[in-house]
Amino acid sequence: MSHLVALGGLVALGLLCTPLARAQAPGVSEDRVLFGQSAAFTGPTADLGNGIRVGIQAAFREANARGGVHGRKLELKSIDDAYEPEKAIVNTRELIEDPEDPVFALIGAVGTPTSRSAAPVAAEAGVPYVAPFTGAEVLRGTNWEHVVNLRASYNQETEMIVNYLIYSLGITRIAVLHQEDSYGNAGLYGVQQALTNLKMPLFGTSSYTRNTTAVKTALLDLRETGADAVIMVGAYKPVAATVLWSRRIGFKPVFITISFSGGYALARELGAKGEGVYVTQVVPFPTSGARIATKYRRALRAQSRSAKPGFVSLEGYLAGRLAIVGLERAGRDLSRANFLESLLRSDPIDLDGFPLKFGPGDNQGSDAVFLTMIQADGSYRPLATPNEAESE
Amino acid sequence: MNRFLDLILRTPLRTQLYLSLGFAVALTFIASLVALVSFQRVGEAQRVVNEGSVPNIAAAFLVAQDAQSLAGAAPRLTVARTEEALRDAVKEISKTRIAFTVHVDALAGDDEGENPATRHVRERGTDLLSNLDAIEDSAVERFVLAARSQELRDTLRSVETNLTENLVTAIDNQLFYALTGHRDLQSPPAPLEAHFTTGEVNKYRRVAELYDAAAIGTQVLANAFSFADRAQLEPLRERFEAATRQVQRNLRALGDDPIVKAVVPMFDELITLSVRGDGIFAIRESELDLETRQRGLLGNNRAIATALIAEVERLVSRAREGALEATSRSQGTITTSRRVLLVLNIVSIAGAFLIAWGFVGKVLLRRLEKLSGWMHRMAQGDLESKVEIRGQDEVAEMAAALEVFRRHALEVQRLNLVEKLADELKGKNSELESVLDDLQAAQGQIVMREKLAALGELTAGVAHEIKNPLNFVKNFSEVSEELIEELDEILPDEGEDFGEDQREEVHDICQDLTENLKLIRQHGDRANRIVHDMLKMGRDAGDRYEVEVNLLVKEHSNLAYHSARAADSNFQLDIVEDFGEDVGSLECIPQDLARVILNLVSNACYATDEKRKEGKDGFAPTVKLETRRSEDRIVIRVHDNGNGMPPEVQEKIFNPFFTTKPTNQGTGLGLSLSNDIVREHGGELRVESKEGEYTIMSIDLPVQRVEVPVAAEAVT
Repeated sequence: MSHLVALGGLVALGLLCTPLARAQAPGVSEDRVLFGQSAAFTGPTADLGNGIRVGIQAAFREANARGGVHGRKLELKSIDDAYEPEKAIVNTRELIEDPEDPVFALIGAVGTPTSRSAAPVAAEAGVPYVAPFTGAEVLRGTNWEHVVNLRASYNQETEMIVNYLIYSLGITRIAVLHQEDSYGNAGLYGVQQALTNLKMPLFGTSSYTRNTTAVKTALLDLRETGADAVIMVGAYKPVAATVLWSRRIGFKPVFITISFSGGYALARELGAKGEGVYVTQVVPFPTSGARIATKYRRALRAQSRSAKPGFVSLEGYLAGRLAIVGLERAGRDLSRANFLESLLRSDPIDLDGFPLKFGPGDNQGSDAVFLTMIQADGSYRPLATPNEAESE
Repeated sequence: MNRFLDLILRTPLRTQLYLSLGFAVALTFIASLVALVSFQRVGEAQRVVNEGSVPNIAAAFLVAQDAQSLAGAAPRLTVARTEEALRDAVKEISKTRIAFTVHVDALAGDDEGENPATRHVRERGTDLLSNLDAIEDSAVERFVLAARSQELRDTLRSVETNLTENLVTAIDNQLFYALTGHRDLQSPPAPLEAHFTTGEVNKYRRVAELYDAAAIGTQVLANAFSFADRAQLEPLRERFEAATRQVQRNLRALGDDPIVKAVVPMFDELITLSVRGDGIFAIRESELDLETRQRGLLGNNRAIATALIAEVERLVSRAREGALEATSRSQGTITTSRRVLLVLNIVSIAGAFLIAWGFVGKVLLRRLEKLSGWMHRMAQGDLESKVEIRGQDEVAEMAAALEVFRRHALEVQRLNLVEKLADELKGKNSELESVLDDLQAAQGQIVMREKLAALGELTAGVAHEIKNPLNFVKNFSEVSEELIEELDEILPDEGEDFGEDQREEVHDICQDLTENLKLIRQHGDRANRIVHDMLKMGRDAGDRYEVEVNLLVKEHSNLAYHSARAADSNFQLDIVEDFGEDVGSLECIPQDLARVILNLVSNACYATDEKRKEGKDGFAPTVKLETRRSEDRIVIRVHDNGNGMPPEVQEKIFNPFFTTKPTNQGTGLGLSLSNDIVREHGGELRVESKEGEYTIMSIDLPVQRVEVPVAAEAVT
């Protein structure tokens, strides 16, 4: 009997000593890494969500065609939040806590109010939050251990706009039309900062309700101020409505808007009336001959026959590429911590000529802002790249 | 006593052992019987405890434990956030439930329900389980309500979004139209009197009010979800109804405006959310009621569990009383049997002691010890002491046999010893012989090598010595040839007379020739002697004969000088000879003594040459040779003005293989052998030196031959 007990003890000891199979990070298996995306695929910002998604998918497909990263294929799981913060929170929880198939990291969220609501959920769960499509200051800086921003901030965009208006166009009567939420206020704040730095007053502000195109009364207010330039911080549909109605009632200031509203969706909404609207961009010109643009177009063609090159999907593609760099640097033994560490605490990143640099307290990779203008045929024309020259 | 001992010693050992074992077995058997009887009685008492009280106490404890864990686990049912967590909790609790039922049944089995305490426990158990069922049901119900509640929330959000979008846009459009007359981008603007009217402005106000009412209504419904107090719901309902009335009013006022058609379905949905039986207020009421009920059930649960545990405690204390009674009964039995066993043990120990002391100790062991003592001593080599043990049993027989063995062993031991010693001696002898042979061979080789070395050194000197007489022979032979030619010329032709002058001339020439030939022979002899000496020097054994000492010194110092000069063309030396007239001859082994002189002079040459090489100004290398004769001794001194030796070197120069010369230039045996030779001649070799100044080596020999064995000579 005692022999049996001793034998049992030995067997139990042996079981205890057997090394357990290595525990993978959530969303990571032997041959797959799953990323999650909560963005708007319906509603007035749907084109942004779709653009970002197709860009990320193009980058992932490109990497998967090479055999994936460290033997793992990349996958993206996208859920619609219709640009609603509450829905974004629910989606983010669902992606992280899915008992069957949780995501490793979140990527490509669209919008400021949505991201600022979802990022704390991700941070609480220790999940990386990569390349949200927003330039708001609120997601930048030392408080965010889990957020990796790709693009230049709205402040940098508005600063460039203000400088361009004053120094290149000689306009000093500047007004702002913004969406009444954290995104719109971020843009407004950026403009105010830039003007305060130049010791100039803001000529007027006006706002509209998010997720509507109710901009007309705001437009009347702006006309009252007699501003020569209107900086628009909104979604592409209300921005387009502003320009169209302004032209209709004969109010003809210089219209200038920032990257969030200014993709090809804006140009499409405006049609022939869009000519002369200035737009700042935070990614290189998607149809240019730059190395990153060429690669992007090839990857996009492989992903979707119908998708046309654009700023938004290029930003999505860059987001995907950034995530791939993180995975490559983190190595086969992947964890959320070493993924973030490899991006935020490592050497500068070069995405085929598009430079990114992170550092302590700096979770924003690019500082590049490009100024473009919409032409009569609905296409964009690059104007100036004052702070970052496009390489090649 | 002694007679008894004798009787025992005469009995065979086997019988003695059997008797004592039999006695011991008998005692043990009696003790076992006593123990068996008492075990049975204790077991009887213990069985009463085991089958009665213990299982009851154990079951009661288990019941209490289960009741406690059931009461503790119940809150998990009410706080489970997901249905999966609820399923886990139910599963776990059902395990405890089954155990609980089993333990309650076990408790009842013994007393057949007659015991009121047991009956109470069972009743409480049933209460606890049914209460638990109610909690489980309420938890399931909670999830149904939560799902419905989430559904309502989602609907509310989408209604809110739609209303906001439509109404905000409508407000914007209406105000814009009232101010500008524009309806859409395509059509031309309306004239001012058409759009800037009281009606349009009122319409704007209605839409704005509609939007406010919608905002209040949705906000009120949203608040319903966050209020935890059921009483707070009623005021909310009131406010919602007010907002609804405001909506109705404004919708009516707006009449058939397109916006009314767009938003009416949305408002209908909003109102449906609030009023239906399973609307937001109803659901919230159910949820809050459920929470209250759950709290009550949990409290009930705790109360039942506490009552149950109290009953169990009562049961346990009863069972404990029964157990104590049975235990005291068995305690009495144990005490009695302990006493009986103690007495038996004392008898056994006393008996065992008697056997051990009286027989085993006194008779058997002591004699065996003695026997073993003898064996030990024999094993250690003591074969001398005799073996003696009295008696007639097996021990005595063993002693007799041991005595016989001892005698044989003694004989064998002596024989072995002698043989072994002889063998050892033989081995040692042959070893010594072979070592001696080796030593002699080595010694001969060393001496021979030194001789050959000295001979080698001499070759140049010898060549020079031989060359001198040969020159003489050559020169005198040439002169003699000329003289013979002269003779031939003097010889008269045929028929001519041989005159007196001629005769005299021939006579003179013949005299010269004779003289020349004598000289040639002398020099030939000299060369011959040199070669002869050389050969003798190379040979081992030598006979003693008289030798002219001065001549010996002169010839061999010459040899050494020429050898040194032949080896080094820069070599220079003045040899000063100071030979005593009366030294005369000495009986010795000439080639040995010659070797000594050669060795000393060679060393002197080397020493002076070393000093010359240092290049000191005014230094003239000089070796002085001195021979002196006193009454019965002859002294030969070799004095050089070389570098001399420090005292520590002087002490060692006669040691074999000691040399100050560089490697390959000396064997280190020269002075050692010289010293041996001089001592073989009964003499003494001495050194006197001052470092940097001079060295004097003296050979002191007795004139009369003295036979002194080398080993016996005291070393100076």
